Amino acid sequence: MGAAVRGLEARGLMGPRVRILDREAPLGYLLLVPLLLLLGLFLAYPFLFGIWLSVTNAQIGDNGHFVGAANYQYERSDTVFIQSFANTITYTAVTTVFKLGLGLLMALLLNQVFPAQRFVRAALLLPWIIPSVLSTLAWRWMFDPTFSVVNWVALHYLHLPSVNWLGTTSTALVSLMIVNTWRGIPFYGISFLAGLQTIPTELYEAARVDGATRFQQFRQITLPMLRPILVVVLLLSTILTFGDFTLPYVLTNCAPYNSTCVLSTWAFQIGVNGGYIGIGAAISLVLFPLLSIIVAGVLIGLRSRD
Amino acid sequence: MADIRDITDYLAKDDWSRRRFLQATGLVAATITAGPILEACGGSTGNGTSTTTAVGTIPKPRAGAKIQLLQWNSFVPAADAEIKRQAAEFSTANNVTVTIQTVSGDQLQPKTASAVEAGSGPDIIQMQYGWPHLYDTACLDLTEFVNILKAQLGTVNAVNDAFCKVGGKYLATPYCQVPNAWSFRTDYWGQAGLTDFFTTWDELASAGKALKSKSLPPIAVSLGHAYGDAITMWYPVLWDFGGREVSSDGKKVTINSKETLAAVNWAIDTFKNQYISQNTLSWLDPDNNQAYHSGLITATLNGASIYIKEVYTTATGHKYAAVTNNAGMPKGPKGLESLNLIFNHAVMKWTQEADTAKAFIAYLMQPDNYTKWLNASVGYNAGPFQKLTNADIFNTDPKLKPFVGVVATGKWPGWPAQPSKATSQSQVQFVIVDMFAKACTSGDAKGAIADAEQKLKRIYETPV
Repeated sequence: MGAAVRGLEARGLMGPRVRILDREAPLGYLLLVPLLLLLGLFLAYPFLFGIWLSVTNAQIGDNGHFVGAANYQYERSDTVFIQSFANTITYTAVTTVFKLGLGLLMALLLNQVFPAQRFVRAALLLPWIIPSVLSTLAWRWMFDPTFSVVNWVALHYLHLPSVNWLGTTSTALVSLMIVNTWRGIPFYGISFLAGLQTIPTELYEAARVDGATRFQQFRQITLPMLRPILVVVLLLSTILTFGDFTLPYVLTNCAPYNSTCVLSTWAFQIGVNGGYIGIGAAISLVLFPLLSIIVAGVLIGLRSRD
Repeated sequence: MADIRDITDYLAKDDWSRRRFLQATGLVAATITAGPILEACGGSTGNGTSTTTAVGTIPKPRAGAKIQLLQWNSFVPAADAEIKRQAAEFSTANNVTVTIQTVSGDQLQPKTASAVEAGSGPDIIQMQYGWPHLYDTACLDLTEFVNILKAQLGTVNAVNDAFCKVGGKYLATPYCQVPNAWSFRTDYWGQAGLTDFFTTWDELASAGKALKSKSLPPIAVSLGHAYGDAITMWYPVLWDFGGREVSSDGKKVTINSKETLAAVNWAIDTFKNQYISQNTLSWLDPDNNQAYHSGLITATLNGASIYIKEVYTTATGHKYAAVTNNAGMPKGPKGLESLNLIFNHAVMKWTQEADTAKAFIAYLMQPDNYTKWLNASVGYNAGPFQKLTNADIFNTDPKLKPFVGVVATGKWPGWPAQPSKATSQSQVQFVIVDMFAKACTSGDAKGAIADAEQKLKRIYETPV
């Protein structure tokens, strides 16, 4: 112990209260406090407030009072809510599968050595970088049957009939999925690429020496090594797609006749535009139990394998 | 109003008599009771301004005050430029700062809702349609102020009046209408062998048939969730065939009727036979403008912005200026109604500068200023008060007359019921528009009406 510390002790400035910082666990918790405060302020408070709103009859500008599960009960008989619920599940499931597959393919291709590699990697990130409102507006223009460049190409070069992309219930939802997939692939691709680059090349060299085929290398080395990052990306993407608002709102705003409503847009319609903020909160929270189970399952699974 | 110093000076005088005693006590009683009465009439701000507004006079702006007005980006940018010029002029003349914040039309409501929920934000908000009814708890009572304006400017248009008045009180000041009429290509019209523009809904179908037979661009109206164009089209179709969504007391849903069936069947026939465009089910408000300016449609229902862009906006090149004309709304078997986009100004309860806000609104509504704004907007807007309806532009350009014409037949969503939270809810959920859209694509009129009826019953008869 140095003379300076001895001096501090002598003056009573380094008693047990200060020495507690020398212990790992208390120090760890202490260092977590600022983060916990920030999380509490920006995540827990809005979330808990949202839950509170969902069990009140609050309207915009009126706090309302506790009504229990009445909002949830009320929405059970709402046909648009049921449609939105089904759309949200379909939208998330389909786009996640495509984003996963195409993102993995993109990562495997980007992991090869080829000319202008850095430029191509940066360019492929563009859909993720561009503000989603702008890119969705561009897609809206491409899908509009009156102006559609997609239809024009199909008609003039491929001699295919025009498609009313946003004008029928089935194609409008498919259009939403196409744009979401287009936008989401770079996130998957770049995340997987980062994972691929951490896999030691010695593993592949050893596999090649043992006579493993490309596919065997992919199944036995790439996929297992990529699994942790794959699961986390999948989890994040699923949560974000469940709550996607900007894209469906800008592309179709629930049209035609609410057939492309997802829970986030319907909650906005009722809660913000219609003023029934309590019901809107209930609509947006309805997926919370399901999402919680998915998240818990994935995280527990990930931890147990580790 | 006499203040307390006047009274004490009066009482300090000697030479008391019974007459003077009665005068003094009367003065005290008047002072005590006048405050609450004025406040109840909206004369007192109660929001940080120290002076009480005298009955019958426009409040004075407070020197040094800063206020903000939130409004949409007009489809005619010159109108916004004129408002900003007037705001600067008012600011300089009164030593205040007025800021105009503009957002796109579909962002105005989320912004307004956020401000109302937070209890803070712009001092004045431009309220679309029935928002004063939705956000009644956040709007100052402007009854006294509107009565002053009425005394100066004449009667208020019935639609503005219905939207502004909540429970007998004015929670917003009537500001303007954005009349919706038809803009059409006269060259295509002639090529199809048509002479006059349609005056009935059946004639619209006939005109569409003629255009189709010559392979000319179609008549196109939004069947999507366009807060302006889709609503202004399909409510009048319903009304003109005699259909109503709810009874006049706003309690009983009446959509399931033979009149509604007739309206929906007309829409199905017109759509299925391709007498109107098939591509409009996802159209938002700017889409028909874009289609018209691209030469892809022959006629559409819109504010005057299409005509203005073609004829008055030099930067866009007058592409179809010589072949663009306008016409009013057609009628149906049961009448001729129209629906226009409406804006009113609400002074918000959280403002600390209610008097300055009122003074600024009064300044905008001064006939000279208002007329300058109407002329700058080249017929896109129409005045809500009797004395503000006749802008020069409507007289100098006869092609704009149809836009003035549709104001008189204007109604509001939910009519004949008075505007309410329920009528607003029905409107923002696009129940009527969706009924027509669903019927047009499925061909099932009764199914679409039943679906709308179920939704309307939830809104009007069994709200949560």
